[in-house]
Amino acid sequence: MGTFIQQVVNGLTVGGIYALIALGYTMVYGVMRLINFAHGDLCILGAFVGLSLLTGAAGSGHTGAALLLLAFVVSIIAIAVAGVVLERIAYRPLRKADRLAAVVSALGASLMIENGIMLVWGPQVHVFPAGLLPATTWHFAGATISFVQVMIILASLVLMAALYAFVNHTRFGTAIRAAAIDQDAARLMGINVNRVITSVFIIGPGLGAIGGLFIGIYYREAYFTMGWTYGLYAFIAAILGGIGNIPGAMLGGVLLGLFNAFAAGYVSSSWQDAITFGLLIAILLVRPSGLLGERVAEKV
Amino acid sequence: MRGARLGGATGAVAGPVIWAAGLALPFALDSSWVSIAAFFAIYAITALSEDVILGRAGMFDMGHAVYFGIGAYVTAILNTTLNVPILLTLPLAMLLAAAAGALLSAPLIRLRGDYLLVATIGFNAIFVLAMQNDPGGITGGSDGITGIGVPSLFGLQLESQSAMFWLDWVVLGAVLLVMRNLDRCEFGRALRYLKQDELAAGTLGVDARAVKTLAFALGAALAGLAGTLFAVQLSTVSPSSFVFTESVTLFAIVIVGGQGSIPGVLLGTALMFVVPQIFRGLAEYRYFVFGIAMVAVMVLRPQGLLPRRRAVT
Amino acid sequence: MMRRITIGAGAGFGVALGLLGATGVARAAPPIRIGVQAPITGTYADEGQGIERAVKLLAAEQNAKGGLLGRKIEVKVCDDQGEAAQAAICARQLVNDHVIAVIGSYTSGAALAAQPIYARADVIQTSDGTSNELLKHGYRTWFGNAAPNSAEAKFTAHYLVDVRHFGKIAVLTDHSSFATGLADAVVADVKADHGDVIDKSFINAGSQNFSPVLTKLKAMHPDVLYFSGYYSDGGLIRAQMVQLGMKAAFVGGDANQNVAFAKIAGPAAAGSVIINVPAPADLPYPVAKTFVAAYKAKYGALPPSVFTLTNADGMRAVMQAIAATKSVKPAKLEAYLHGMKSFQGLTGTFAWNAKGERTGSPFVAFEVQKDGSYRILYPAPTAG
Repeated sequence: MGTFIQQVVNGLTVGGIYALIALGYTMVYGVMRLINFAHGDLCILGAFVGLSLLTGAAGSGHTGAALLLLAFVVSIIAIAVAGVVLERIAYRPLRKADRLAAVVSALGASLMIENGIMLVWGPQVHVFPAGLLPATTWHFAGATISFVQVMIILASLVLMAALYAFVNHTRFGTAIRAAAIDQDAARLMGINVNRVITSVFIIGPGLGAIGGLFIGIYYREAYFTMGWTYGLYAFIAAILGGIGNIPGAMLGGVLLGLFNAFAAGYVSSSWQDAITFGLLIAILLVRPSGLLGERVAEKV
Repeated sequence: MRGARLGGATGAVAGPVIWAAGLALPFALDSSWVSIAAFFAIYAITALSEDVILGRAGMFDMGHAVYFGIGAYVTAILNTTLNVPILLTLPLAMLLAAAAGALLSAPLIRLRGDYLLVATIGFNAIFVLAMQNDPGGITGGSDGITGIGVPSLFGLQLESQSAMFWLDWVVLGAVLLVMRNLDRCEFGRALRYLKQDELAAGTLGVDARAVKTLAFALGAALAGLAGTLFAVQLSTVSPSSFVFTESVTLFAIVIVGGQGSIPGVLLGTALMFVVPQIFRGLAEYRYFVFGIAMVAVMVLRPQGLLPRRRAVT
Repeated sequence: MMRRITIGAGAGFGVALGLLGATGVARAAPPIRIGVQAPITGTYADEGQGIERAVKLLAAEQNAKGGLLGRKIEVKVCDDQGEAAQAAICARQLVNDHVIAVIGSYTSGAALAAQPIYARADVIQTSDGTSNELLKHGYRTWFGNAAPNSAEAKFTAHYLVDVRHFGKIAVLTDHSSFATGLADAVVADVKADHGDVIDKSFINAGSQNFSPVLTKLKAMHPDVLYFSGYYSDGGLIRAQMVQLGMKAAFVGGDANQNVAFAKIAGPAAAGSVIINVPAPADLPYPVAKTFVAAYKAKYGALPPSVFTLTNADGMRAVMQAIAATKSVKPAKLEAYLHGMKSFQGLTGTFAWNAKGERTGSPFVAFEVQKDGSYRILYPAPTAG
């Protein structure tokens, strides 16, 4: 029983992080039908920006919570700006072009950001300072749960709920949903689609920066190729839930985290990823638009 | 850009002439550039095979390295364990790759583009993991398989770098002929209709499912062929040559070059593979600059560098 | 930046410019060319750049002393990204650049793909690659500069079973060629020593999410967890073990020996044991101390790992061979290197057997201390 609970906690923590990153994929996809392959790298860039601030301020006498909060704020702002700039330069000129042109532009941007991180911060593994958060752990039915895990799970839930409320219960959220359904119709209804897209490139990367910093704080390390790995997992989570669908990204992220944990814990650690991907493909066969995705005709 | 402006008639002459001129490369280049040219031929075949699925049939295949890998492993296993001559392994490599392509894609073809894309990424991950886990002790695990022999033709050992290049170049020529004929035959037209408007194609009597499966099989077979050449060129295969990022590169080659355009895919291969070789001196800046260049190319030429000419029928 | 571009373009246009350049300076004695084939970009960029820096440092030091045989040493670098196809291209390129020896590559896979090309061209290749495949063909040109897996596995099994008397031993590895090879050898040797291997599990390197597999292992109550993979994962594994409340001891293979291990594991690092030749900063030999100091002075950082130093040893051995034989003829140099009884390396005294395998490596088991430094546990350090 303890082992089972432990695996659930393991899965939920990582799943929460996947979900936060997946939201950026799914929002951008929802509005622009673009797979933003650079998203994972933006998130890790967020982790590096936060890291620089935390290590830079290490000797300043500031401690714990306040410093951490500052790191989050700076990193969110920096990555949101980076997201908006990326959209202007690499995606906006391609809005009317073949969808795949923007996908390849995103791949190029991913390569650029990843190697840019290597040039600025160097290729080595970077370590986050210790003792940012209390090292408290709770023991529960044989399972061990740490403060960081609880914080990540709770924060992910709160952020997702806030985003859900924003998109569904505010005027601007309605504009985002309208643009996601049909940009031209939204424009005719007087919605400023450019503003919607800019906002999506603020919210997605902003949440991604939080996800990136969570990775850094939870695992206490960051290196430049990490963005590709997390980006891929988060993208898969978004697809699993039904891409373009916000609750779907949350569900997909959490499920992917749990799949990973159960595959490694109960089936075979050597086939872990194969089991995860096999499950994903099986789900797509039964539900071709993901778990919560709607059946819609391909937009060409 | 010149290739794009060449009319059908001039194109028909220019292509073979350029290809024939290529045969002289080993006399003009040193051996490292001959080997780059040989790898260019191999990757060009792979990229053309990706184009059958992605550019022509319009199916988002981001796991194409799987079929390339199957070809390479089939040749490596047959040659090192059963001593089957390389050129005899070739048809089997193509056949098994084609079968894998057809079987894997058949149930997935009805998936929407992006979902198909993720499913193929999944296949790629499973394939690499399977090769690493060494099922039945035949794939050599993470080390892969070493000591693959050299091909022999009429008793002649194609051992030198130049001989291997000529083999690759001749095979590339044959694949180019196949691709040219694909443009003109009924199957090629069916692919075009399907890509433009699946519903309309259906009313014209095109069996979408069969045509798409066949496109996958054909693309996979050609990739398997390239895989055999790859195994020979390196004399070793290992899982790391067929990872997901290789599939991403193939995908990008087709889009950067121009979907469904033979000169486009060839140019795309040159840009994505040969140009980084030239800029080795940039060292750690190399892929940073390369990423910027990819964005710039797409923004300036969204349809690809040498897009397909309007269909001439 | 500008200079790099022009150098790049020059190198790229290949033989024509190369020949022009060579004839231009032919009056002075032509330089002795040494190649570096390493992952300058990609996942292993850290290690690759370390190898490049070490070789360039040694060449610069030698050139400051007037070079070798009155000739300057010139270093040619080729980035193989740790990939087989790129490695084969690099090998051809370096052969065409007329290098007499190549240092690298970092990964066994990239060394393997380049090996037959160097062998055919009679170019010395010295790499830290330890895959058994590298020894299979018995190439005269091959000189592995890191201690082979087989020797490390024997020492590890002996340490786990006979020295520490661990009962239940769990083995964890990633899917890399190096780590699986080492894990398999350790499992076999532990069994040969009548130890009890209760499980062999895999992690997905770089995924960071190791708690699931550790949770599974925890339920099996092992006395020790042996991990054969790399430090970036090893440090995290140790941290997550402690976080999960696992009681098992941690013993790591040689690739865990990196300054980052202790930093990543944080407070959990103390007490972990790593088996390797001693760490760069802890190498007891004066030559090693001088080298590490010079490296730090020039590049402002410690070498990323001991493999920077084993490759530096490859370079030093080649330079010693040239000086001793007063020749740059491959056959002479290879004969000298194979015949050497003992070489005073930065990483200890060693030699090469007929297969080019490094023999005589002073393996130690050291314990990570609270401050991240190492204390040698076994064999018990002798006085001084």
